[in-house]
Amino acid sequence: MLFNSFAFFVFLPIVFFLHWKVFNKKKQFQNLFLLAASYFFYGLWDWRFLFLIVASTLVDFYIGQHIYKSNSLNQRKKLLWFSIIFNIGILFFFKYYNFFIDSWVSLFHIFGIELKNTWTLKVILPVGISFYTFQTLSYSLDVYHKKITPTTNFISFATFVSFFPQLVAGPIEKASNLLPQITQKRTFNYTKCTEGLKLILWGLFKKVVIADAIAPIVDDIFQNYANYSSSTLLLGIILFSFQIYGDFSGYSDMAIGTAKLFGIELISNFKFPYLSRNISEFWQRWHISLSNWFKEYVYFPLGGSQYGLTKSIRNISIVFLISGFWHGANWTFIVWGSIHALLYIPIFYTKNNRKYSNTIVAQTTLLPSAKETINIITTFSLVSLSWVFFRAQSITEAFGYLKQVFTNFSFEIYQHPSGYRMIDYYLILILFIIYEFRIRKNERAPFNFSPKALRFILYTLIIFCLVLFFDDQTDRSFIYFQF
Amino acid sequence: MLKLFLKIGGYLFLILIVLEVLVRIFHLAKDTPKRFIDEAKVEKWIPNQKGIAVTGNRKQNHARYRINNAGFNSYQEYTPTKEQFELALVGDSFIQGFHQDYTHSIGKKIENALPAIKVYEYAYAGYDFADQLHLIHAYKKDFDLIDQTIIYIDFNTDLLRGEYAVIQDRIALQSPLNNMLKKCKLLVYTKSIGVLDPPKNLVAKLINSLNKRPRATHTKIKKVSHQKNNTIVTYLNNFKKLVTTYGFDKKRYSLLLNTNTTPKPFLDYLMANHFKIIDFHQALKNATAPTYLIYDQHWNDYGRTLIANQISKTIIP
Repeated sequence: MLFNSFAFFVFLPIVFFLHWKVFNKKKQFQNLFLLAASYFFYGLWDWRFLFLIVASTLVDFYIGQHIYKSNSLNQRKKLLWFSIIFNIGILFFFKYYNFFIDSWVSLFHIFGIELKNTWTLKVILPVGISFYTFQTLSYSLDVYHKKITPTTNFISFATFVSFFPQLVAGPIEKASNLLPQITQKRTFNYTKCTEGLKLILWGLFKKVVIADAIAPIVDDIFQNYANYSSSTLLLGIILFSFQIYGDFSGYSDMAIGTAKLFGIELISNFKFPYLSRNISEFWQRWHISLSNWFKEYVYFPLGGSQYGLTKSIRNISIVFLISGFWHGANWTFIVWGSIHALLYIPIFYTKNNRKYSNTIVAQTTLLPSAKETINIITTFSLVSLSWVFFRAQSITEAFGYLKQVFTNFSFEIYQHPSGYRMIDYYLILILFIIYEFRIRKNERAPFNFSPKALRFILYTLIIFCLVLFFDDQTDRSFIYFQF
Repeated sequence: MLKLFLKIGGYLFLILIVLEVLVRIFHLAKDTPKRFIDEAKVEKWIPNQKGIAVTGNRKQNHARYRINNAGFNSYQEYTPTKEQFELALVGDSFIQGFHQDYTHSIGKKIENALPAIKVYEYAYAGYDFADQLHLIHAYKKDFDLIDQTIIYIDFNTDLLRGEYAVIQDRIALQSPLNNMLKKCKLLVYTKSIGVLDPPKNLVAKLINSLNKRPRATHTKIKKVSHQKNNTIVTYLNNFKKLVTTYGFDKKRYSLLLNTNTTPKPFLDYLMANHFKIIDFHQALKNATAPTYLIYDQHWNDYGRTLIANQISKTIIP
């Protein structure tokens, strides 16, 4: 079930109503109902893969208990490794198995040895596997490091793992944030609900009006890049940057908004990343929950920046490479991760990685300064160029695209072969950028304007845009579902 | 919670009103002319209507239509004479062309290419071969004066029946309820761009699951090719039956079709029985740009130009 599907907008009010009106007596009822709703939500996509979620839940629930109870460090380590191997194992099997087999065969091919590729399997990638395995894994790790006390309530834990708003594409929640909210009885909060609804509306706008609307244009440019000049290819890169941002941040906003309807606060996943002034700031604002996960469970355990420059650079590189590989079983994602490592290391070296940690562009002014503007444009350009590897089907295609950008210099006015009216997209993107800049100080309150009449006009315009840009012919699934 | 629901309801109501106003201001919804059945039992548009047909979202494709005295979309009135060379184009929505300004219709494009002739477009959305032959038969007087007649036919959709009867479902679109619903332009617009398809599909899915329709079995799959052959035979028989009922002047009448989507047995039958064919398959295949509209299954301006060129090549006034 997609957040942008009609089925979801039937499902959500029903679940909301039943949660607050029928199953509101005890926290056990609330959680049991949320768990059933979450399994139903996931099962509608493919009920066969529910067993994976249940298995992952069972394993980490019992491992958490045993780690907590055990006094033997050796025993605790063994249990933790079992959890890691189990979670990474299912992720490896469903997501990376074929990639490694193919790479192995290709490697032998380079040396002139032809292997028969009979080992690859036809497996479907279960939606959300990269997200919920990381979430359950973080629970076992936190229990091991005694950061949290494991819950003894299986239903609460299962609800934490499978909570439907963030089950299939995050934000990846740490147990220390989400679990305490689930283990206590939640009470209806009118303000939280209205905030949630506003975020859902804003997320839907980003998904339908920004991401889905420009998707056919991006598809055309990337599929036929050899026929286009550099100006069109640059347009393709810029549009893809907004497509992926609209798609994923739109999903995250809807997830956070939906969770709010049930009285649960998820962490912010995006904080206007394209307003970043350097790559370090970009990573503090893009897919925050994943960055935090890697920082806490990979970067810090490796030593972080504690043991000198060389080891710090090594650790940064490892995190970016794994992060790239997490996105997909393709060399393109590894290159994408490497590019970001290369862009990040100089900033780390010059100790500018924390420079913009607590501020947003034009913090106290109406408009950004000239320096800030240049920094934003530079960062956006670098990030956008790296997206080529993210979007391309292969390394060859990505390099082919970039080669064309830098060699086929000419300007042409792009026309989509099917005749889409391009001015509509340019106009909506410009308005979107201006609006995002206007609301840059609070990603969780996109309509924080007064008076009421102005908010009403905004809601109406957003819904009008949804109606204007709705296109039943485009694939409306979320890009991050494939990860 | 009641406060929340009331507030949402109130906001939605006000927003819907504003959206209705906006849809009207920007004329995003299509106008639909009114239809009727004349004394000869021919279904067509009520004469002398004008409006704007819109397809796709954000009014990306819109065109003016003009229903003439004869009840068809055209820039001119139909007054066939013995002196003038006239060509009749008979067809469905593809020929009717609500997707293009009536001053740039296929007929007008042919006239531009062949200034000596007049082209009359007897086309109406939903017409099949039975409708077309019935129309020609009903307006025999006019068609006897017309020098050439081209009938557009799609084998897969236009030969489902072997005898003519007024299609009541189409006339039901004129029902008071439908007319009332059409007054809500927001509804017309959202329906036309597919916003209302998901709820309709969901309801259909639910009904189907309640009816518990049996799943397709292997035996059924095997039957598919057999059924396909049966369908071709049935459609061919329908064609023969209609031709026998209404007659078909092979000297003056031609069939406009795409040989790529027409089954071979039907083409063989047409060849063997000396039916004249105007095939537009190659014209569309050699196209250098898309020939169909973005949000619609019909030909775009370029596609219609190609069809008009193809017809122009075969007409000798």
